[in-house]
Amino acid sequence: MQSKRLGWIFLAPTLVILFFFGVLPFIYVVYVSFHQWNPFAVNPEMVFNGADNFRQIVFDQAFLNSLGVTVLFVVFAVLSELILGYFLAQAFMRDFPGKAIFRTIHTLPLIVAPIIVGSVWKLMTTPSIGIIPHYLDEWFGITMNIGTSATAAFATIVIMDVWHWTPLVTLTLIAALVSLPPDPFEQAQIDGAGKRQIFWHITLPMIAPAVVATVFIRLMDALRTVDEVWMLTGGGPGSATRFVGVHIFKEVFPKTNYGYGSTISVIVLYLTIVVCWLLYVTMLAPRNKKD
Amino acid sequence: MSFAFKIGASALALTVAATAAVADGHAWWQKAAEPYQGVTIRGVTESSPPSLYIREVLAPQFEELTGIRVDVETTSWDQMFDKGIKDMEAGTGIYDMVYIEQDIIYSYLARDFLTNLTAFLADNPDLQAPNYDEGNFTTFADYFKDADGNLYGVPMEAFLKVYLYRKDLFGDADIQAAFKEKTGRDLVPATTHDEYSEIAQFFTDYGKENDLELWGTTAQAHTGHVASWYEYYESVAPTFGVYNWGIDADNNYAASVANGGAMNGPEAVEAMTWWLSMRDIAPPESPASTWTEVGTTFGAGRAAQGLVYGENAGWIAADDSKSLVVGKVGVALPPLADGVLDAAEAGEGYIGYYDGGAFGMPHSSKNKEATALFLQFIAQNEVQPDWAVAAPRVTHTATYDDPKVVAFNEELGGYYDLIRDKGYLFAGAPAYPFHAQVREATAPIFYQILTGDLGVQDGLDQMATAAESTLTELGYRK
Repeated sequence: MQSKRLGWIFLAPTLVILFFFGVLPFIYVVYVSFHQWNPFAVNPEMVFNGADNFRQIVFDQAFLNSLGVTVLFVVFAVLSELILGYFLAQAFMRDFPGKAIFRTIHTLPLIVAPIIVGSVWKLMTTPSIGIIPHYLDEWFGITMNIGTSATAAFATIVIMDVWHWTPLVTLTLIAALVSLPPDPFEQAQIDGAGKRQIFWHITLPMIAPAVVATVFIRLMDALRTVDEVWMLTGGGPGSATRFVGVHIFKEVFPKTNYGYGSTISVIVLYLTIVVCWLLYVTMLAPRNKKD
Repeated sequence: MSFAFKIGASALALTVAATAAVADGHAWWQKAAEPYQGVTIRGVTESSPPSLYIREVLAPQFEELTGIRVDVETTSWDQMFDKGIKDMEAGTGIYDMVYIEQDIIYSYLARDFLTNLTAFLADNPDLQAPNYDEGNFTTFADYFKDADGNLYGVPMEAFLKVYLYRKDLFGDADIQAAFKEKTGRDLVPATTHDEYSEIAQFFTDYGKENDLELWGTTAQAHTGHVASWYEYYESVAPTFGVYNWGIDADNNYAASVANGGAMNGPEAVEAMTWWLSMRDIAPPESPASTWTEVGTTFGAGRAAQGLVYGENAGWIAADDSKSLVVGKVGVALPPLADGVLDAAEAGEGYIGYYDGGAFGMPHSSKNKEATALFLQFIAQNEVQPDWAVAAPRVTHTATYDDPKVVAFNEELGGYYDLIRDKGYLFAGAPAYPFHAQVREATAPIFYQILTGDLGVQDGLDQMATAAESTLTELGYRK
């Protein structure tokens, strides 16, 4: 009984902070999402407009477009990070010369702030000045211009995100791989299982919780990507890289459309929860049930 | 008494008088600031040369003189607005001074964010510095006044977006001959759009033929940043006679031609088509260029001519640690369509953008008295010349005649003369309290015109519709 009370006492500061800086603002955003509110309108006050904002979202082509682009980005980026991260994790499980140095260098992007990542990639990709278009042109005769080519801009953002976040995936998967017991693998080898069979039937199921946790983290991060994209393309060319995060930013800050911007935020949060729940249900729930 | 002695005695007398006056001046600031010693005032502004001068030079001078500490936060353009607006909206009082860009003043006034400085100083005569006078400012200060002439911001920077050209290229005998042979015209700065196009095409071809990193024009044509929107509406459309973004405030804020606006009219279409054609022969970085990159492009010697913000024109023309074209830059009025200059002369239009900003004091400031002292300190005639040389900007009439500024004007290719003599032909942003809202509503469509996803007429039609719809939503259009 006493230890339970002590537990609550220790938890209290965190819960209080979480309530004031997490729960309350969220409730406020939900409240605002049911209002029309632009402080630079003729009437700068909040006006309750029921579910109008939610109805508007369904027909908002700009939002739907940004959602589509975001989903594409999430699929390409997270999948690439997962595959690349797994192979790198496997590589780091083995010994090779210079492993420590390579592992350190490989982890460095993680400590760089997203806005700086965006700036650096902007420098590297600016047509005529950047090192990437320069060498693409010199070596392969490819003209790369992220200001005019939607594909180039989108691909650059995916590559930038993969460069930035693959180390996180690698580190998580290394932790998972290191903790695996050797027995099932030895058993499988004795039974004559191939590498592919071992991967699908032993390694993957055993590291699935770590994979799902990593995908959760990356999924949520990728869905709210703003800084790097803001710096690199500003959402362009056109709306080719106007991800939902950027769309919300533009709606809320420069346009000061607080009501509708809040609605989009709530919807995006809802969609994120749904996607994560689906992922959980399909990958982990059956396994938990079985256990 | 020898002549030399007379001169020496006069100089001594002047020095003594000046020293006494300076001492008197110092004494006033120290006395006025006495009750506020130890107070810290905070400001937020864009990280631009004039603001950096305030942070690095004027703020420390003021601190030393008065004992009032000044923290000037210099940040990016959008962060500056974001921080300032949030602070004023919530009334938290984090900032005692906010940078007011000319185009946002109407929004701030509509929301009653700012303190009326004229009234504040009139109500607090003890705080009014003897050498502070609103009459010292150039007419640019009028943008920061209300209908009754009350000042809400102390102007701290003012520039024109000018037509910059390479004097060395335009003056090169071989190039002049080649241009004459190709076009039958003398190579001089353009006065019409056709002339400008001809020069731009010539230099782009010249760069290709001679394997040079040189193009005929700059273009601030970013496909995802509002800088391109601004270049079109502030600097290109007016030269074709499309003013105030093509929105008619006196006609129920009509934007479309059908309702009496001009946003999608023939002049707007012609302006956009011309500008896109210039973008296509500009350096390849243009579709990813904001105002900063345009300055960098010109400073790197990659363009023969272009429309460049004055805040960049300064370092391009005079700072050899950044620019490769120091001493090679001339300034001129932008190319114009028929009738535009006459309209501007008559006060019925304008030929380009008069950009700049001021420092205002939010109502939410908790240190208004100390802030008022600092705002007057940076508004003194005495501090202006060094500031104008360090970060090319002029906000005071007397600054033009200062010997340092006169000398610097030569280096700038007559830029200050242009502001003084022709500044009245340029205009700031229209007096819209919905500036950012309409810009953001139309910008995504604008970018699609730039990428070619939408045709010019179709895109401008959609922009006019979006502008009117937003204005209706905001309650301005009935």
